[in-house]
Amino acid sequence: MRTAAWMMLALSAFGAISGTIYWFVTFEPAGTLLLWSFSLMPLIVAGYLVLHGAVRTRTLEDDPDARPDRAAGQELGTFPAASTWPVVLVLGSITVGASLVYGLLLLPVGLGVTALAVLGLMRESRS
Amino acid sequence: MSVTLERPVAAQPEEPPHRMGPVERLTSTDHKNVGILYCVTAFGFFLVGGALAGLMRVELAEPARQVVSTQAYNTMFTIHGTVMIFLFVAPFGIGLANYLIPLQIGAPDMAFPRLNLTSYWFFAGAGLLILLSGVASAGGGAAMGWYAYTPLSELRYSPGVGVDLWILGIVLVAISNVMGGVNILATVFLMRAPGMTMWRLPIFTWNMVVTAILGLVAFPPAVAAFALLFIDRRLGGHAFDPLGGGDPALYQHLFWFLGHPEVYILILPFFGIITEVIPVFSRKPLFGYLGLVLATMAIGALSMGVWAHHMFTTGVVSNPFFSAMSLLIAVPTGVKFFAWTGTMWKGKISFTVPMLFALGFLLNFLIGGVTGVMLASAPIDFHMNDSYFVVAHFHYTIMGGSVFAIFAGIFFWFPKMTGAMLRERLGRVVAVLLFVGFNLTFWPQFVLGLRGFPRRYVSYPPNIGFDTPNLVSTIGYAVMFSAVVVFLADVAVSLRRRVPAGDDPWGGNSLEWVTSSPPPEHNFDALPPIRSERPAFDLRHPELAP
Repeated sequence: MRTAAWMMLALSAFGAISGTIYWFVTFEPAGTLLLWSFSLMPLIVAGYLVLHGAVRTRTLEDDPDARPDRAAGQELGTFPAASTWPVVLVLGSITVGASLVYGLLLLPVGLGVTALAVLGLMRESRS
Repeated sequence: MSVTLERPVAAQPEEPPHRMGPVERLTSTDHKNVGILYCVTAFGFFLVGGALAGLMRVELAEPARQVVSTQAYNTMFTIHGTVMIFLFVAPFGIGLANYLIPLQIGAPDMAFPRLNLTSYWFFAGAGLLILLSGVASAGGGAAMGWYAYTPLSELRYSPGVGVDLWILGIVLVAISNVMGGVNILATVFLMRAPGMTMWRLPIFTWNMVVTAILGLVAFPPAVAAFALLFIDRRLGGHAFDPLGGGDPALYQHLFWFLGHPEVYILILPFFGIITEVIPVFSRKPLFGYLGLVLATMAIGALSMGVWAHHMFTTGVVSNPFFSAMSLLIAVPTGVKFFAWTGTMWKGKISFTVPMLFALGFLLNFLIGGVTGVMLASAPIDFHMNDSYFVVAHFHYTIMGGSVFAIFAGIFFWFPKMTGAMLRERLGRVVAVLLFVGFNLTFWPQFVLGLRGFPRRYVSYPPNIGFDTPNLVSTIGYAVMFSAVVVFLADVAVSLRRRVPAGDDPWGGNSLEWVTSSPPPEHNFDALPPIRSERPAFDLRHPELAP
């Protein structure tokens, strides 16, 4: 994670510096804000990695001499096999969007289907 | 149903391979299934976009208007561009990433499998909306071009609901891309196998990391642009409406802040494919691994600072700044070409089908890249802007580059995905037809552009130098069409009469070649020690391993 954190910090710095140079070259606000905003996303990811010990600790995947069997038995997480809720979520989202085009009568239907899908996904994630 | 996994040394393969039913296929969160869903759906959109291109080429084959109405033609080039960019090339890269990244880094799945399936369905829903925006829209389909410039896309000039459906579709594409980007970054940063350091990642995975970052940074401003456009159209806003005090140039800024990185979202995954294919068929280690990774990062970073080279002619941007930044991208791209050439240099090259496509990619992309350098020069761009020269340049990078790499990737990884080989002889026919057809189609478009033929015109006067190049271009399309027909026949024959591929038919370098074809659920029987960026090679040749 150390390399990833440094890479993200470098990208963030690139956005901030190029945005600043751009401002002094052009005094154009839209592009300057876009470049500065570009520096934020990598900063968020880098911040997460740093807060979770990316710089302080060395994980097995960062250890060039680590063997796969050193991680045997390590819990990787929970992996769902199948889910129908993503389809329902997308149908709900499309209906919400369509309501803005074809009429707000569709909005409650779209919001209801979307809420149902979100609840379904939440329940599924706990099973 | 969920399963809690521990990291094993070995996972048990399924015997015989499990065949999915349609419901399971559409709901399974297994990364390999989601990857295949992405690729197959994206290829379906390629056929739709290709058919629209065919209609346009037939229309332009002769000077007078003959096949479609002007409005239908406008809709066709709008949907063709949108489909090819947002629904074919980029999603195909995400599909391959879904399939390959966990295999290449030694993980059992993507970090968020359910999010992964959700991102696929958002993409499929987006596709549905975008197609509907062209054909089933009261008051007229979307006909404003794939970048939907204001004020043309405002309600005054595009009153049909087609534009609204198009906007909704693109927003769903953006949501799908952000979900996919988060998943890719989390997977690569947090789920690598022991010993798989970032500096041992396969180049395809590296390229997808940079692509994911670009998507995460570039799509949100574009969603803001589309939301404002929607508010302008339906809720009485004036963000981009000059008559109401709005600023159309702001739309161009926001759109191209996505639009130009999108070009690299469309090419970086395929640089990755080519970088996987060339060392395997040159029988040499990759030349300049570190340089290639740094070049990929440099391309990604610089691509965020070049968006306004699409706005040179507006007069509201700093042309020298954006010209300089655009020209700079040629440097890391040159590093990549140098590394690919260095890998082949004195190699024992075998001209298999994936390698033929990789070579086609190199030639085509070189032409696309060099003409891109020309267009990065503002004075040249003033002459070429909105001419067929730009159309030819763009297609040489995306069609001649990305699509050739997609075919290289299909022929390379099809045996891994299905356990069956594609037919080599038919593949060679596809490669030759596609290369000849592609160059017949798009080289004359450079000529058309230099002679002043504007893009997006449905007809043209005879005998002023446009007739012959247009006719040749249409003949070239027919040759490409035949290549796709032969390819589909190849896939059908190869799946019906299977020639078993074995686990590693090519002598591959990265971890996916260590497991079975197709891989079992959760991917690996056993992971070898990872001591370099080509662990599969090290496993076959322990005497050469570091």
